[in-house]
Amino acid sequence: MGLLLVALFIGLSGYNVPQAFSALFIGATGLQLVPFKVNLFPLAQSLAQTAPLLFTGAAIAFALRAGMFNIGAQGQMVAGALATAVVGAWDPALLSPLHIVLCLAVGGIAGGLLGAAAGLLKAYRHVHEVLSTIMLNYVAADAADYLVTHGLKERHSMAPQTVKISQAVYLHPLVSGSGLNAGLFVAVVAAVGASLVIKYTSLGFRIRTVGENQEAAAAAGVNVPAVLTTTMFISGLLAGLAGSVLVLGLEHRYIKGMTGTYGFDGISVALLGGASSVGVTVAALFFGGLTSGAGYMSLQTNVPDSIAIVVQAAVVLFAGARTLPWRQRRQPAPVAKPTKGAFAPVDAADD
Amino acid sequence: MTTPTTRLAVKMSRITRTFPGVVANSSVNLSVVAGTFHAVIGENGAGKSTLLNILFGKYLPDSGTIEIDGEDVTGNLHQPVDSIKRGVGLVSQHYSLVPALSVLDNLMLGSSSTSAILSFRSAAARAESLISDLGISGIDLRARAGSLSIAAQQKVEILKALYREARILLLDEPTAALAPQEADALFLLLARLKSRGTTIVFVTHKLREVLLNSDSVTVLRNGRNAGDFKTSATSSEELLAAMLGTRMAVPATVKSPRLVEEGAQPLLELHRVQVRNARGILAVRDVDLQVRPGEIVGVAGVDGSGQNELAEAIVGTVGTSGGKMVLAGDDITTRPVALRMGAGIAYIPADRHRTAIVPSFNIAETYLLGHEQDSAWGGGVVINWALAHKRATNMLQQYDVRASSRGSAVRLGSLSGGNQQKVIAARALEAAPRLIVACQPTRGLDVAATRFVHDALRRAAGNGVGVLLFSLDLDEIFEMSDRIAVMYNGAVTGVMARSEATVAKVGMLMTGGEQ
Repeated sequence: MGLLLVALFIGLSGYNVPQAFSALFIGATGLQLVPFKVNLFPLAQSLAQTAPLLFTGAAIAFALRAGMFNIGAQGQMVAGALATAVVGAWDPALLSPLHIVLCLAVGGIAGGLLGAAAGLLKAYRHVHEVLSTIMLNYVAADAADYLVTHGLKERHSMAPQTVKISQAVYLHPLVSGSGLNAGLFVAVVAAVGASLVIKYTSLGFRIRTVGENQEAAAAAGVNVPAVLTTTMFISGLLAGLAGSVLVLGLEHRYIKGMTGTYGFDGISVALLGGASSVGVTVAALFFGGLTSGAGYMSLQTNVPDSIAIVVQAAVVLFAGARTLPWRQRRQPAPVAKPTKGAFAPVDAADD
Repeated sequence: MTTPTTRLAVKMSRITRTFPGVVANSSVNLSVVAGTFHAVIGENGAGKSTLLNILFGKYLPDSGTIEIDGEDVTGNLHQPVDSIKRGVGLVSQHYSLVPALSVLDNLMLGSSSTSAILSFRSAAARAESLISDLGISGIDLRARAGSLSIAAQQKVEILKALYREARILLLDEPTAALAPQEADALFLLLARLKSRGTTIVFVTHKLREVLLNSDSVTVLRNGRNAGDFKTSATSSEELLAAMLGTRMAVPATVKSPRLVEEGAQPLLELHRVQVRNARGILAVRDVDLQVRPGEIVGVAGVDGSGQNELAEAIVGTVGTSGGKMVLAGDDITTRPVALRMGAGIAYIPADRHRTAIVPSFNIAETYLLGHEQDSAWGGGVVINWALAHKRATNMLQQYDVRASSRGSAVRLGSLSGGNQQKVIAARALEAAPRLIVACQPTRGLDVAATRFVHDALRRAAGNGVGVLLFSLDLDEIFEMSDRIAVMYNGAVTGVMARSEATVAKVGMLMTGGEQ
């Protein structure tokens, strides 16, 4: 549906629709159908775009399971990226793999703490997480800007950026020249891990209970504030890792503005992908392919790559419509009979 | 007054109104003399609110006739506006003020005297004179309605009705949410309104309020008339007999006398427990209560007497503002819910949908909730779903829960209410509890399911478990309890052995009457 709308849009703008779409397809998947040919490079670029989206998408989907809308993945990502850049530039005389793990851990924890801050505000002060995470996005972005123009700025550089990280912690491209690196595997492991936590652990069970009925959770002895905070920590951790992987694999330092809009695009990924890790992965692949395919399309056909953003928006709009019944189902079923109310003085009018 | 004969302000005749599966009013008559304070009383579900809402135009009756001030308005009351135009005002249990607007805005809203171009000055003048006429204090016309206390909001609701020139004021359980002093102030205000000629129709189930304030009383029972009385010529015994009907005669015999050692150390001891509700009003006042092992203590009381708050305080989902709670010698007053459950408290919440059920959970998940750390249930850091399903499947058989062929993987929401309740009861009973806090455990269940839950609770008590049973249903209280405690206005007004209890005695305590 969304794609049809976009086809119409491209057509009305005076471009060749089949040509544009085939370029978009090749750019996204690397598959050329006639004559059949697999181009590794565009595929790798798509997967490279997928990795951060998978992190942020999984992060937001995770928080949604506890009924929270984490709009703060963007800021958590910034925190993760900056923390990783700092630890990566430090030479702790560790084996390179251990140093990489350390970089990821610190980046994840930095994002997690920012998420937990929103969780604490929600749990103990009833500040709505949408409000607090949006505000914390500004805090994170502006604090990072300040740091890379002052204390953490690379000396003698004109640009607002940190020094390069140690070569020992680089995640190297898997397809030469592309942005694809082992970060994608970390993302897949993290996304699958997050969904395993939800499905198979008592923490995940409590998160789901809190997400669907906080009163029932409290009555069953679940510490609701602790669950909300923990959930936001884990969500922030996943988003922080997105920043870590961008630093380790692509930029090799923190540069102002390097995190793009992956944190916000993750919202689309989470909503489109729904609750399952498979859904989120497919959605991240779709959006990643769309972004990188659009670049290819604009090179080949002069259709501006902002079209990709139009496609994303259109798809999310239609996916949003599809999501609605799912959201409605989460409300408690109405009491079928006009039987008398509980002890609470809130009675139906039929007594 | 100058009218020598008794002019009727309201005359409702043979009103019948059914809801799916329920006959709320069956051929009910209500006659209210103009300028009097008329009380309508009855137990929960007697049909009081329905009758009021029909008079206010919220519901159309299936049959019957309605006269207001002598004018036949049958079939003309399609919506509240139709009643308001004829001088009827309703103060319902749920206030209908717009919280973000000022008090004055709320008064003007929907009033026929408000013209298209708003004149705040004249409206304010009118409201001020109304306020000073009635001697109402503490109402600031410019305050936001949402910032007012419940009692003040109620005053605004009354003002709103009078601003619309209501001559017949209907009040639906107006004291349910008020502190006693606030209730006293309300009755003073109503008395002043009556002296100005306003007719007052007052729905309640508190006998004391009726006897102290009303001129006449209509009693409803099970949707039917159960008597009309002059307040000055009746007594609380007579009114109670009318409210309860034949059940008044229930003998005080104990079906299966069970001996609970008097000397046994109490399992649960409550010492002067106080609980404040969300608005800061004392909902539980200095409650002293004990439950001994193997004993079923029934807590009776009309809806909203503080039972819910007391139960939640014992379980730990709300905090106390005073007093002490001791479980088997350990002070649990400030312990979190999980620790109390670990110490042996099991909970069957009153509102199944709100506090017991997670809509998307299947039976196994529902059954596991609260036990997700317990390896015997399949819990732990990593959940053993195979074991959880196995336990749930056994439970389905043992408790005779009728699920479809998919057994424990069936969504709980697809079960009937009775089967849902069995799962929730099983979750509490199988936790090897020492104390079961059961709130309305059979609400909405059919006879078979009710018996099942009752038998399960009795079996638990037989095994030495203490049971604290909160119920609005007097029959259930009398059938199940070894001892009966009665709550009224947040306080326990009486505790007696089942053998000493009569429906009349309990009913009197429930409604605030003297013993």
